[in-house]
Amino acid sequence: MAPTLCAICQIARALIIRPKNHQKLCRECFISIFEAEIHHTITSTSLFSRGDRIAIGASGGKDSTVLASVLKTLNERYDYGLDLVLLSIDEGIKGYRDDSLETVKRNAVQYDMPLKIVGYDELYGWTMDQVVEVIGKKGNCTYCGVFRRQALDRGAKMLGINHVVTGHNADDIAETILMNLLRGDLPRLARSTSIVTGDSASDVRRSKPLKYAYEKEIVLYAHHKKLDYFTTECLYSPEAFRGSARSLIKNLERVRPSAILDVVRSGEDMAKLVPEEVTGISQCKSQKVSLSSADGEREGAGGCGSSNGRNSGGEMADMEKKLQQDEEAASREIDVSSLASSTAHIHPPEKKGHDPKTGKTGRKDAGRKLVKQTLGSCKKCGYMSSQEVCKACTLLEGLNKNRPQMEIETDVEDNESSTLRRRMGGVALAAG
Amino acid sequence: MSGDIEGQQNGNTALCQRCHEEAATHQIRSDGICTKCFVAYVTTKAIKRMETYKIRGTTKTARRLLFPLSFGPSSASLLHILDQHIQGQYLRMNRASYELVVVHINLYVDPVDRKDADLLLEKYKSRFPRHTYSTLNLEDALTLEGIDWKALKMEEPLNTQNPADKLQALLGSMSSATSRSDIVSTLLTRLLVDVAKKSECESILFGDSTSRLAEKTLTETAKGRGFSLPWQVSDGALSYGIAFNYPLRDLLKKEIQTFSSLTTPPLTDLVINPKSSSHISASSKTTTIDDLMAQYFETVEENFPSIVANVVRTTSKLKSLPDEDTTSCGLCGLPVAKGTDGIYGWGGDQNTSSQPTEEKLHHGILCYGCSRSINS
Repeated sequence: MAPTLCAICQIARALIIRPKNHQKLCRECFISIFEAEIHHTITSTSLFSRGDRIAIGASGGKDSTVLASVLKTLNERYDYGLDLVLLSIDEGIKGYRDDSLETVKRNAVQYDMPLKIVGYDELYGWTMDQVVEVIGKKGNCTYCGVFRRQALDRGAKMLGINHVVTGHNADDIAETILMNLLRGDLPRLARSTSIVTGDSASDVRRSKPLKYAYEKEIVLYAHHKKLDYFTTECLYSPEAFRGSARSLIKNLERVRPSAILDVVRSGEDMAKLVPEEVTGISQCKSQKVSLSSADGEREGAGGCGSSNGRNSGGEMADMEKKLQQDEEAASREIDVSSLASSTAHIHPPEKKGHDPKTGKTGRKDAGRKLVKQTLGSCKKCGYMSSQEVCKACTLLEGLNKNRPQMEIETDVEDNESSTLRRRMGGVALAAG
Repeated sequence: MSGDIEGQQNGNTALCQRCHEEAATHQIRSDGICTKCFVAYVTTKAIKRMETYKIRGTTKTARRLLFPLSFGPSSASLLHILDQHIQGQYLRMNRASYELVVVHINLYVDPVDRKDADLLLEKYKSRFPRHTYSTLNLEDALTLEGIDWKALKMEEPLNTQNPADKLQALLGSMSSATSRSDIVSTLLTRLLVDVAKKSECESILFGDSTSRLAEKTLTETAKGRGFSLPWQVSDGALSYGIAFNYPLRDLLKKEIQTFSSLTTPPLTDLVINPKSSSHISASSKTTTIDDLMAQYFETVEENFPSIVANVVRTTSKLKSLPDEDTTSCGLCGLPVAKGTDGIYGWGGDQNTSSQPTEEKLHHGILCYGCSRSINS
């Protein structure tokens, strides 16, 4: 049987079946079309300007390594005029980051880029290993995700850089879209697809140049370019709910390869259908740039592999429980309001300011209220947040209360008494 | 709660937490309830959604509603519920606020299947004789006007000699099982809308449960039809000038399945139960995205029923785009925003040279989802 020729150059032997569309390509043509597509994404969205300093969120994993390699290649080939820097976060997970950070250090040499490593301990006073000691393995992804999101921005700020690029790929975006549908989270649905998050009000912009790149193609690219990357799953994410959306995406891809891209497309279209009162942003603006909030959207350098995020299986069960309580409250409410007016003065529990006379028609869907999100900054740390106190500070407060420990930076915590309590906790820890 | 305590004291038989009289045999959320209360619960949920069509003022003429009957548990249950509802209206006021025009569409071309369908429909007629019944075949959609047949590489639809063969050939030419099922459901919807218009119905009552609507939300998303969700999932949304209603939208698939066996007499011999989706494998060539989602939600519904319902509630909050600047898709007919048609020329299509000549030759507007099914 004659070997199949590459569908593009028609000269070399086809060695690769493109996961995205099953096109048969030779190695060179695959590499060049992969790069051309990223270039297309960058230019068609005007992602960068000449002279920009860009921090690449680097975890040592395949996505960020490919991102760094492709950006270096394109920056030289098309003369973008970018100043590229690697930025890594050390969550403080023994055996996980040790090796991947070594990879990043080698990448820095290979790509001739400066590298900055920021540790959770210096930013928050807690390593992830310490966090897990306190709260256990369940739900710690919440902490990791929230902390990492800020860590990249804070690290970038330290370097005087206002644009961070991350290695999120099409599979990640598709997964997030399905997850936000499952969670019923319209605000996040509205912003999870935009290539750039953060606007003029924020110090640091984030973007995802690989947003249309299939994970499988990223792996192929890394393999055929013989890139030096590190493969490991985060030790602390055994049972994430995101995993369920992820396996769904993988199955969809098997049934119809275009499905990942199609989900991303659907997500972009749906973002325009989310009512303005939910997003708090006007339509014309939301298409390209949307608010980023510091409340734990899946962001970061992709450090948690396939199952990053705040969504443990326990959280899915928690949500189920909460929804059931809401439903029960709503059904009680309807029971009351449909009774005779003699009982109309009885207000159902859990529903403040509800008028039983209008309740019957006004709340047909028993749905939760649409919550508007507005961007401000955290009262404690000044970091951009849609809440009064940002998620990281809220989490830290809980951590510090539960198990005080010694080495906390004073810029996170403020008053003396809590420092004292922390010291005492540290003493107790040492004694035990 | 005294009912609980008594139930526990009496041994295994807990009392219904609603009526506190009968033994609890079923479960609604965390409550154990009796058969009677379960049937009442399902019926009430459906009838509540029919409030739009309740009797108002002195209007004498009943509103005509198209009722597509698939013989599945949902449409059978809904027909049973609405039949009783109409009967109740007659008993109380000697008139009904609406009447049902029942139609069954044959999706299979095999004559044996069609004969079975005819026999089953006869059973429905004798059980619910109040309504008008008719049967159509999916290939009847091939005679519809207003569909861009050229996009499907078909000649003009009218005067087709052998429509069933044409349909077979059309579906056979699709590149994947998903594209095939996508085109089938599009043709089905268009045919139903056409029937609704011809029989002067103002809306179509679909039997979709909340589980089915959640499935549909994710299925359409996965097919690149996210833009169309406001029309596909919201209650009362107008497509093509006809309202789409889903009276069973507040009930789980499981609840409806149970209900269909509890009516008096049971609907069991009228219902064709769909095969369980648990055996579906993603590596099979015949597996569709629809199958995968059905399977997925079967497991989610098992453990997290409220999350299923929440998906539908959330999706219903999406707003359709304003009418201006839209063109109807040549296939599914849904409004496509200007400049967003086809699978080429958006951010995710990163290669300007990837546009095949076919797309250029064909100038009709197709939405992303239809374009995907035809082109891949």
